[in-house]
Amino acid sequence: MTFVDLDGLRCHVQRLGPQDGRPPAATAVLLHGLLTDSLASFYFTLAPALAAAGVEVLMYDQRGHGRTARPPAGYRLEQFVGDLERLLDRLAVTDRVHLVGNSFGGTVAFGLASRRPSQVACILAIESEPASPGWAGKLDGILRRSEQHLRDEDTLAWVATQRGAHTARLARSAGALLAGTSLARDIPASRLPAEAELRAIHCPVLAVYGSESDLADQAAWLDALLPDCRSVVVPGQEHSILIEAPDVVRELTLSWFAGHGVALRGPQAGRRLQPAVAKRSLV
Amino acid sequence: MTISEHPTGLRPPTEPEVLAELAGMLTVVLDDCGLGDAEVTMQTRFTEDLGLESIDLVTLAGQLRERWGDRINFAEFVAGMELDEIIGLTVGRLVEYVVDRLQPGERA
Repeated sequence: MTFVDLDGLRCHVQRLGPQDGRPPAATAVLLHGLLTDSLASFYFTLAPALAAAGVEVLMYDQRGHGRTARPPAGYRLEQFVGDLERLLDRLAVTDRVHLVGNSFGGTVAFGLASRRPSQVACILAIESEPASPGWAGKLDGILRRSEQHLRDEDTLAWVATQRGAHTARLARSAGALLAGTSLARDIPASRLPAEAELRAIHCPVLAVYGSESDLADQAAWLDALLPDCRSVVVPGQEHSILIEAPDVVRELTLSWFAGHGVALRGPQAGRRLQPAVAKRSLV
Repeated sequence: MTISEHPTGLRPPTEPEVLAELAGMLTVVLDDCGLGDAEVTMQTRFTEDLGLESIDLVTLAGQLRERWGDRINFAEFVAGMELDEIIGLTVGRLVEYVVDRLQPGERA
């Protein structure tokens, strides 16, 4: 395992790159979500396909999650964005990066695009949104409810019955994260960008939503707000598209990268990605 | 290949040998909770029986590569699997993969 010290935060990093000995076609940074998420969600879904297509893939566990350190406090959005900035600096990543963010990971991606516009090539945001007063209010509710429910043995037993032992274990870990840190109070207290800051995010953005998720309602708002944003709604999916429909996310990401100047290679390069995606009746 | 690399020294490990090493790695991966009384066999499931989380499997992947080199590419091994299949993985399936990849024919 590789750990990188980010000003005192021991951060777990995984990299997968092309195996053909040639320089990578691009660098992608994959950003996972809150609580039950970790870099494993990408490691087992999107990352191998990107590496096989010639992309250098950088994944890390966000503070408090996975194998990265869990400080008792310091979980405002700007601190997560600061970790990403420090990580890029420590690893001397000077290329423009292609960001893929799942849920809160996308919120971090928008934060980096705001802080370092010249370093972000594009953003693929899965079931995600930039920080806003509405976002902070919603996260406050979700985190409060999670904090209450994930310490309840009956709830955890119910999760095990409904979603299986692995999800139940992730839920238990999330409960420990909430009980042991100030995350639930810090996230809603994050510094929120003014609307003008969001309008200034000029990089291309693809926002992916599940048709059954309440986030899909905001697609039109985000498309109108950001200078270069379009949306794709995946039918029949809820919030966990990355886990539930990894093949759809893979196809979307590869065609999105190919459409934004990344010369993909390997078995992915010759494929006609866009028609395959269209056939799944996205939109 | 040089003369000092005697064939017996390069003999690829057998399934029982890989299984034993893997069991050792699992005690490291699960450092805080440990394996308890759980016996690791070819039928043992990583998640259901040992309580591994997906991030623990990533850690295990790193250990496998440290031990046997780049030929053991866990990400590639699971690339064609659905997440449910990865979560339902048995120790035996991974052991078979490792043994297979370490066969002399797989060197290149």
